[in-house]
Amino acid sequence: MKKIIYTILLALLMVPNFVQAQENAGAVGPMSSFPVVYKYDEQVTWYFDLSGTTFLENEDLYIWIWSPSEPDAGNWENSSDFAKLHYEGDKIWSFTLTPTAYFSKTPEEIAASAGFWFRLKNKNGSKQSDVANLTYTDFSSFYTANEVIKSYPSKPTIDKPVSILFNSNLKAGFTGVPSVHFHSGLNDWAVLQEYQAWIPEVSEKTKLKDLGNGFYRMDLIPQEYYNTEPGFVMENITFLMVAKDWTTNSGDQILYAGEFIPPPPPVFGFFPLQISQKDFLGMYRKNNESGVNKLIYKITAGSKTIEGEISGTTSEIKGFVNLVSELKGIPNLSEIHVLVKDNKDKTISDTSIPLKTLDK
Amino acid sequence: MKRKSIYGLAVVMYLMTIGCDNTEDGNYVDPITLYEKVNGNWGLANLKMVDDFAKANKIEPSEQNLSTYFNYEDFKIKFNVDEKMNPTSYEVLGDVPPLFAPTGFWELSSDFQPTNASGPVRIYLYSDAQKTQKTDELRLTSVPGNNDEMELQLVHSSGGSAFVSYVFKLNAIN
Repeated sequence: MKKIIYTILLALLMVPNFVQAQENAGAVGPMSSFPVVYKYDEQVTWYFDLSGTTFLENEDLYIWIWSPSEPDAGNWENSSDFAKLHYEGDKIWSFTLTPTAYFSKTPEEIAASAGFWFRLKNKNGSKQSDVANLTYTDFSSFYTANEVIKSYPSKPTIDKPVSILFNSNLKAGFTGVPSVHFHSGLNDWAVLQEYQAWIPEVSEKTKLKDLGNGFYRMDLIPQEYYNTEPGFVMENITFLMVAKDWTTNSGDQILYAGEFIPPPPPVFGFFPLQISQKDFLGMYRKNNESGVNKLIYKITAGSKTIEGEISGTTSEIKGFVNLVSELKGIPNLSEIHVLVKDNKDKTISDTSIPLKTLDK
Repeated sequence: MKRKSIYGLAVVMYLMTIGCDNTEDGNYVDPITLYEKVNGNWGLANLKMVDDFAKANKIEPSEQNLSTYFNYEDFKIKFNVDEKMNPTSYEVLGDVPPLFAPTGFWELSSDFQPTNASGPVRIYLYSDAQKTQKTDELRLTSVPGNNDEMELQLVHSSGGSAFVSYVFKLNAIN
C-alpha cells in the first residue's frame, strides 16, 4: 500500500515535467470573410488579423474549433493538416471551409449552435491565441424583404469585401435566365467593369452566384475588382443586374461608399528630448504598420556600439536603452548616433543625439 | 472589613498621586530629526522618469514609468545612522543601473524639515567617510510620516537647467 502511495506521489511530482509550457500569443484581431455573407453549405474563406499577437510571420498555424463541432478532437498536441491555416502575408492568415462539410452538420444544426468558437494555435499547442468567436451574418431575411438590392455592408469601402444581393423575382423577364451579370462602374461610371457578353473571361468575372429561387449574389473587393490605382477615392458603385446576353436588366442601381478612414500615421519618438550619458534612452513607435512589432537599434557612442531590440505590438512598441551602465566612465562623449530599424528592415530613424554635460 | 476598604482606597489614591508627579512634558527630550525618519531600509514602490524639458514646454509624453525595467523591482536603499542618530553609510541593494553611486556616505542639508520656502531637503552622497568627496545629490521631496513612505528625486541639470529627473517612491521595509 505504501509503495502505491509513493508511486502516485512520485508520478504527481513529475507531472509538471511533462506538461508543456504554454505561451499565450494574444487576442485574434479583426476577422472578416469572403464572401461577406454566405450560406452554411457554401465555401467561405475566413481571414484572421494576427498582427497584434506574438505569432511569427509565416508560422504554421492551425484552427482549434469546438463549436459547432470539434473536427480535430484529440489532436491538440499534433493538429491535423485539414485544420491548417493559409498565410496570406502581413500577419494575416486565412482558412477556407464549407461549414456543413467541415463540421459534419446540417445548416439547421449549425444555425442552432452557439456559433463559431475557436483558438488559433501552432502545431503542438505550445502557443495559442485567446478564445475567439467569428460572427455569422444571417441574411435570410432578404428572401422575404421585398427588396431588389441589399448590400453587406450597406456602405462598401474600396479595400474591403462587399456582398450585393439581388432579388430577380421583383424584376420582369428574369425568370429562367441562364445567368445574371454585374454591369458596373465606380464614381458614376468613371471606372468601368462592364458586362461584355461576348468575352468569356469578362462574362465569368461579372457573373453573379445563383442562390436559387431567383436570388443572386455578387461578391467583390472594389480595389481588386476594378483594379484601381492606390489612393483612389471611391464615392459610389453604379450598376445594373443584367440577364445573360442583355435580354433584360434591373434598371440603374447605386450604392454609396462608406467613408474610407485611413489608419493613423505611425509616430516615432525618443524619450527624453534631452539626454546625458548617465540617462536611459527611451524610444517608442505608435500606430505601427501591420506586421511591425519590433524596433532594432544600433547606438554608436565613440568606439562603443550598443545593439538590441525592443518588442511590442502594432499599437505601440516602447522600451529603454540603459546608457547609464553602457556608457559609464567613457570620457569625452558629446553625442551618440542612433540607427533604428523595424523588423521589416525599414529604417525608422538614423540620427545623432547630442549628450548634455551634467552640472557638478 | 469597612476599614480595610478605606485603607485600600487610600493606597490607590496615593499611588495615583505619585504616578502623576513626573508628567512627561517634552522639555527634556531632543526633537525628532529627519535622520530618525530617513534611516533604515527602503524598497521601491515606483520609479518615474520625468522629461523636465518636455514638461516645461508642455510637450507629451513628459513622464515614463521605469518600475518594471532594468530590475528596478528589486531596488532597495539602506541609510545607516550611528547610535547618536548621525548619518553614516548608505547602500543600494538590487542589481540596478548606477543612476547614483551604489554605496557611500550620506548627510542631509538640514536636520529638520525647513518651514520656509527653501525647497526640499537635499541628501548629499559622498564616497568618503569624511564627507569631502560628493558624488551625487538627491532631493527629499516627500518626508516619511506615519505612512512609512518617502520620495527621493535625482535631478539631471545642465547649465543650471533641469532636463531629466528620476522620482523614486519608496516604502519602509520592516
